[in-house]
Amino acid sequence: MSYDVFIVSGSDTGADAWESRALPPAMQGEASMASNIHRSLSPLITKLESIATLSDAERHAVQNLPVRVQALQARQDIVRDGDMASQCCLILEGWACRYKILGEGKRQIFSFHIAGDIPDLQSLHIPLMDHSLATMTQATVAFIPHAAMHSLTLRFPSIAAVLWRDTLVDAAIFREWMACMGRRSAYDHLAHLFCELYLKQEAVGLAGEHRCPLPITQGDLADASGISNVHVNRVLKEMRSNGLITLHGNTLVIQGWDELIRAAEFDETYLHLRKRSA
Amino acid sequence: MSLHLQSVQLATGSDDSESQLVFSDGFLVAVLVHLSEMHEKDAGMWFLEAGFGPVSIREQPSFVDLDAAQAWIACRLSESRTN
Repeated sequence: MSYDVFIVSGSDTGADAWESRALPPAMQGEASMASNIHRSLSPLITKLESIATLSDAERHAVQNLPVRVQALQARQDIVRDGDMASQCCLILEGWACRYKILGEGKRQIFSFHIAGDIPDLQSLHIPLMDHSLATMTQATVAFIPHAAMHSLTLRFPSIAAVLWRDTLVDAAIFREWMACMGRRSAYDHLAHLFCELYLKQEAVGLAGEHRCPLPITQGDLADASGISNVHVNRVLKEMRSNGLITLHGNTLVIQGWDELIRAAEFDETYLHLRKRSA
Repeated sequence: MSLHLQSVQLATGSDDSESQLVFSDGFLVAVLVHLSEMHEKDAGMWFLEAGFGPVSIREQPSFVDLDAAQAWIACRLSESRTN
């Protein structure tokens, strides 16, 4: 079975282009990208294999998903609150977040997502979006039609189980965020978030030696934690002066890992990282 | 309704210490803190560190100056009296 794959650059959010089965004129010279698709889906393979071992047939089936790869600008909606989703969005490169806009334009960020994540996986079974998904950085994403995901999970129940497990871990992360928002101080909350973001990236090979990308602003941290910008700024300064972290551009360097874990009372169990628990 | 300010030093655990207690009819209704240089583009603004009663708000705003802060606080107080 062969599938059409094409790359679309620019600001299109992708809600309308799946019907097209031909390369856009501007991109016809890039048809060779289709041959790179096995490599391009590697973040998903890496993510799945961080959860379970895939057979050759399963790996092959994932690699041959009929995806449409798209380059997106930073801060661009991918799917919006109220939309009826017909596809899932796999992050190949860059960061995304799930969020909701409340009254007076206030934004609550629910989660951050990195390469290998499918942040709207739940839309496969509950397609009416009850929140929005947007890029935080420039990003490359792959849209997978729901029909293809249903077919994959019917043919390979073990992949369905891995994806189900991923949504359960997603729920575990939400529980930790809830505990942080309700019960932890601003300092402990941000310490917890930094531990989580580092370990999530380390698990899929995007971070190591207590150094990881953190391509988000203080405003994003405020919107994700429910802490004011002023308090986020104070906490970051205090962490720096305590020798716990430094922030260089978009890189977080955790100099005091053990101390950060202590401050956050961080127990990584909820991330259910297979390689760490093995 | 008249607002009365009283200068205090606030122990925020940061460089932000210059503060004003805001009283309305003798009751403490808010604590404003002058944002220090560590806040870069927001330095010099007055941040609602704490508000009480009708001035209590989850999304704490910052104001360009004390007049703007007092106008906002007076508005919150008068709205609550109207309602």
